[in-house]
Amino acid sequence: MSTALQDKTRGAMGWLEERVGFSQILEMGRHKMVPVHRHTVWYYLGGMSLFLFGVQLATGILLLLYYRPSSEEAFESVQFLVTKVPFGWLIRSIHSWSANLLVFVLFLHMFSVFFLRAYRRPRELTWVSGVVLLLLALAFGFSGYLLPWNTLAFFATQVGTEVAGAVPVAGGFLLRLLRGGEQVTGGTLTRFYGFHVAVLPAITTAVLGLHLYLVQRHGMSVPERVQARAAMPFLPSFLLRDLVGWCAALGCLAFLAAFFPWELGEKADPFAPAPAGIKPEWYFAWMFQLLKLLPAHVLGVEGELVGILGISAGGVLWLMVPFLDRGEGRRSALLWALMGWAAVAAIASLTAMVYLIPGSS
Amino acid sequence: MTSFPRKAAVLALTCWAAAAAGTAGLAAEPPSLRKGPLPMETSCVVCHRELDGAALEPVTRAADDVHFQKGLACHDCHGGDPEAGMDGDPSAAHDEARGWKGKPSRLQVPELCGRCHADPAFMKRFDPQERTDQLAEYRTSGHGRRNAAGDAQAAVCVDCHGVHGVRPVTDPRSGVHPSRVAQTCARCHSDASLMAPYGLPTRQHEQYQASVHARALYEGGDTSAPTCNDCHGSHGAVPPGVSSVANVCGSCHTREATLFREIEARKGMDLEACIQCLICHSNHEVKPPTPEMLGVGEGSTCTGCHAEGDAGWAGAATMAEGLGRLRRRLAEASEQLDAAEHAGMEVGPDRFALQTASDQLVEARVLVHSFDIERFSKAAAEGIAAADEGVAAAGRAFRELRSRRNGLALSLVVIAAVMVSLILTIRRIERR
Repeated sequence: MSTALQDKTRGAMGWLEERVGFSQILEMGRHKMVPVHRHTVWYYLGGMSLFLFGVQLATGILLLLYYRPSSEEAFESVQFLVTKVPFGWLIRSIHSWSANLLVFVLFLHMFSVFFLRAYRRPRELTWVSGVVLLLLALAFGFSGYLLPWNTLAFFATQVGTEVAGAVPVAGGFLLRLLRGGEQVTGGTLTRFYGFHVAVLPAITTAVLGLHLYLVQRHGMSVPERVQARAAMPFLPSFLLRDLVGWCAALGCLAFLAAFFPWELGEKADPFAPAPAGIKPEWYFAWMFQLLKLLPAHVLGVEGELVGILGISAGGVLWLMVPFLDRGEGRRSALLWALMGWAAVAAIASLTAMVYLIPGSS
Repeated sequence: MTSFPRKAAVLALTCWAAAAAGTAGLAAEPPSLRKGPLPMETSCVVCHRELDGAALEPVTRAADDVHFQKGLACHDCHGGDPEAGMDGDPSAAHDEARGWKGKPSRLQVPELCGRCHADPAFMKRFDPQERTDQLAEYRTSGHGRRNAAGDAQAAVCVDCHGVHGVRPVTDPRSGVHPSRVAQTCARCHSDASLMAPYGLPTRQHEQYQASVHARALYEGGDTSAPTCNDCHGSHGAVPPGVSSVANVCGSCHTREATLFREIEARKGMDLEACIQCLICHSNHEVKPPTPEMLGVGEGSTCTGCHAEGDAGWAGAATMAEGLGRLRRRLAEASEQLDAAEHAGMEVGPDRFALQTASDQLVEARVLVHSFDIERFSKAAAEGIAAADEGVAAAGRAFRELRSRRNGLALSLVVIAAVMVSLILTIRRIERR
């Protein structure tokens, strides 16, 4: 590089430094220390979630360039994208696989935080914002599933929104809010598109900002009775390790997209009968199975209503965990760990029932 | 005072006596829709409800009867005065002086029904679209001509539509609903003793049940599929003449019939001799057309008339070969697109394009009826070209799949290299 060019580059960097203050940010990264101990591996799940969210954002924006949100054109536009647009199939497949991987990693991240009891004072709001982010990811999944306007998505949305309609008092309102009317129609598709690309991203950006700020403010939590052997600087040690994981995730996504491209299926026909074996996305399967297993009436109350109220109450309890877990000592830790494993076992076995037991769905 | 059971017995006897006489004159005018007791509240119903057997049967079936539902009552067909019967003497209702006609004879039935059903002004009061030509058509039918000649065995209205409990044609329980017409006709036409005096065959129903038409009707539930009356007519039922077979079949198979007629015009051929459609497809036992029917091999219908060496023989062989090639190529394209789809490729638009080949297969099969090799070959060639395009599309999908996997391998190498360099960088930094 000639001296003149080096001078110009230095000048430009100096100009930017003066205005943005990169060195302060880098300095902050170098000073931020990440504890090293036998559970450090779980710290990478947050970064992995953030990476997959970034993949969703990037591929989602590319999909937007071709997608048309109407019942007449949605399916055809996705079909055009995956058959005619160069690498369109790759972008769509990565978007779909990454969405599923993101939800999976978010569940892992949440349970790792739960079992390490990293939600305790002063990180209560970090937990709450994290759970809200998981719920937002589920909402992204639910709204995005309908967008290709294929048969499976259409009927899964019909079933899913019916569950929302069974909520006491506000059910009718919720149903109409989600569907944009009494039935799943092209209006529902346009509405879900609005949720998926505008409403949910706006809320997620705010909650994610809060979550990252709180993580930055309180640092990584070291579990009780675990001795941190040392600490590593966030920059570059932790970030470089994060990058290794992100590269592995990218390779995994590329493999899935090439060998198992996300199916498009057949265009939805609202007048056709529902195909057999309609299942929701895997992350909703346990709720779906629970509602199915409940008897028609429980103590005189409609079974579905009992299920919805039970799941809602469980969700609120889960959100309030940091405020309920105030105990100290081994007994309290054991009790919360048992509750956590019970939740994991229930979710895993109900999900397995949907996929492994023939005729259960 | 006469007790009710006695009154009922008198009434029943009076009815049967009148019925046995069977010659009571019929009113020339259709019944008017008058005010008075509802059809199910007349003295006829009140008394007959207390009787047994055949005397009770009209009452038990009246609720299902379309005439009762529209407001007509017993005396609209049988005459008499139901109001007189209400006064305590049931036999007064059967007084001939009050218009009692009793049970009409079989010879009288068509005219009795025709009093209303052949009266447009009357029928319009119930349905402005209702046909009123049934009686006129009946008179042209084999049944009607024999009835007019005094043959009481010949079918009359009630034999198909029923009596007391007449349901509309649209009611699946009606004997004239499309799904039941064949059984209704078979009640007489499959009865050898009944048909013997007329010298008519009795295997039509058995043959029809083995036909492609019956399969569409009974297995496919397609009530538009032809049954007896669609070819023979209903009220004007007659066997189609030899010269009109193509017209009868052509009322549904329009293109085949048009092509068939064109042969006569183009080649000046008289196809009446070969009984048109029937020679290949049969009449009642119309079988689904199979590939073997065309050509010169086993099961061919062409070889029934054409001999080796004549132009028809060569034409049949050419057409069979063309259809076979198109069918095989279409199956191959469909199979390969399926395989590409199972491998995860999106082939929806290519599958849609393959529809052209399927359409051309249908077209070529229809064009067989033109006996025009040039027209047939053109349609078959277009179909084969479309199927070739389907095979090519499947090939492109597989090439794309291979290139995706090669690209994946390359990208994984790049990603692995980045990961290794990152790990080395971490080690280098941490060693410092």
